[in-house]
Amino acid sequence: MKQLRYIVKTTVFSLLMLLTISGFAQTDKLIRAQQLYNTKSVDAAKLAIDSVIQHPQTKGDFISWSTRAFIYFEIYKRTDKQKLNSELRDTIVSSLKTSMSLKPDADYESNNKKLLTSISINYYNLAKTLLQDSIKEKLSLKAYNKYKETFLLADSKASFLTKDVEYYNAVGSIYSDIYSKDRKNKEAQETAKIALFKVLELQPDNASANRNLGIMYCNDATGLIESLDYGADISQLDIIQENAVKLAKQAEQFMLKAYKSDEKNQSSLLGLYYIYRILSNQPKMDEFGLKCKNLGIKLDK
Amino acid sequence: MLLFCLISLRFQQPSNFDTNSKIKAVFLYNFTRYFEWPSAKKEGNFVIYVVGKNDNLINELKGLSGKKKVGNQEIEIKHSLTFDATISSQIIYLLSDAGKSVSDVASKNKNKGGLVVSESFGACKQGASINFVVVDNKLKFEYHKNNAVKSGLKTNDDFKALAINVE
Repeated sequence: MKQLRYIVKTTVFSLLMLLTISGFAQTDKLIRAQQLYNTKSVDAAKLAIDSVIQHPQTKGDFISWSTRAFIYFEIYKRTDKQKLNSELRDTIVSSLKTSMSLKPDADYESNNKKLLTSISINYYNLAKTLLQDSIKEKLSLKAYNKYKETFLLADSKASFLTKDVEYYNAVGSIYSDIYSKDRKNKEAQETAKIALFKVLELQPDNASANRNLGIMYCNDATGLIESLDYGADISQLDIIQENAVKLAKQAEQFMLKAYKSDEKNQSSLLGLYYIYRILSNQPKMDEFGLKCKNLGIKLDK
Repeated sequence: MLLFCLISLRFQQPSNFDTNSKIKAVFLYNFTRYFEWPSAKKEGNFVIYVVGKNDNLINELKGLSGKKKVGNQEIEIKHSLTFDATISSQIIYLLSDAGKSVSDVASKNKNKGGLVVSESFGACKQGASINFVVVDNKLKFEYHKNNAVKSGLKTNDDFKALAINVE
């Protein structure tokens, strides 16, 4: 009996010793990972930290997760910054989320937020590149939404009204431009319209969106008549005129709003002059023609 | 983060294409289908004579003349700032700033086979056969059949149905 008690006691003691040593080993690994990170040996640091966050002793520690995020960020900067879909970036964000859920101290919380902000700015820059250089609106929008999603993790009270207006106006401008150069590109026109209407949903008096929509409808009306064959019969001409008038009246609504926000804007004044020409409204043509003349804006009469 | 802001400040320019001139050109070409000119006017070029200043309209009509014919006749565009009675034409288009009054031009054109088209208020009452007017923002035309007959043209009754009759 005495012998059995001795065996149990020894076993329990040994197990406790092993667990303590293992715990120390994991803490050592975390320190090691941090050292490797500090000496820029990030690949080795990655191996060490991946083991740390799996161990029961250290996986509940916010330091492990924040450290992992920062190590992964170093690798990400090297290889994945320009990628829209990046497992490294996803790992950084999920590690930071885990760290934040473990109630980090003020320093770690602040650093976590800084890193999240940095990642969100990367998404924002990607959205810009995809829109402006590659003209890939859908991918750009995905990046833009990711920017907002990530930024909110750092600042849950952030407002995106200004940024949304800027972003959708940029989409509207770029795709309006594409459409104006190729009137057959209805997909570009649709993309531009959706984006510009989104701006007006957020900011009904936004001058830029109103102006771009005004010009788009005005040019659509013009295009209908411009493409008319000289041999079109009178009934056909009547239908075309009817449709052009409808478009010009839509253009007028948008352009007047843009004009009210800046009465000296050249595009608005010219736009209104041409819209009233489509509408055969001579008094209004004279009114806006004179305004253009007074501002030195050259009219095509 | 400023770039989107700069992009959104880019604006397209509204098209400066003169829709009114195009519509008038299409109408004028249509008119040639509904009238019969005296035999002397069925030879040579089909002349559309524009009196007054409207460069866009003249350019548009020149575009028309390069693409269409009236029967076998080539379309030729002539223009002057004031009416010149020595110019023989099948259509005389008096712009609103044309020097002479419509009645003066109409009287000089009697039985000479020129369709007088105008764009001034009440022009049909002064002798024009056709007068462009704006109704509900659309370009339409008034038609005075007797004036066309007085000019020496044979008319088509179908044409009346398309016009605003002012007789």
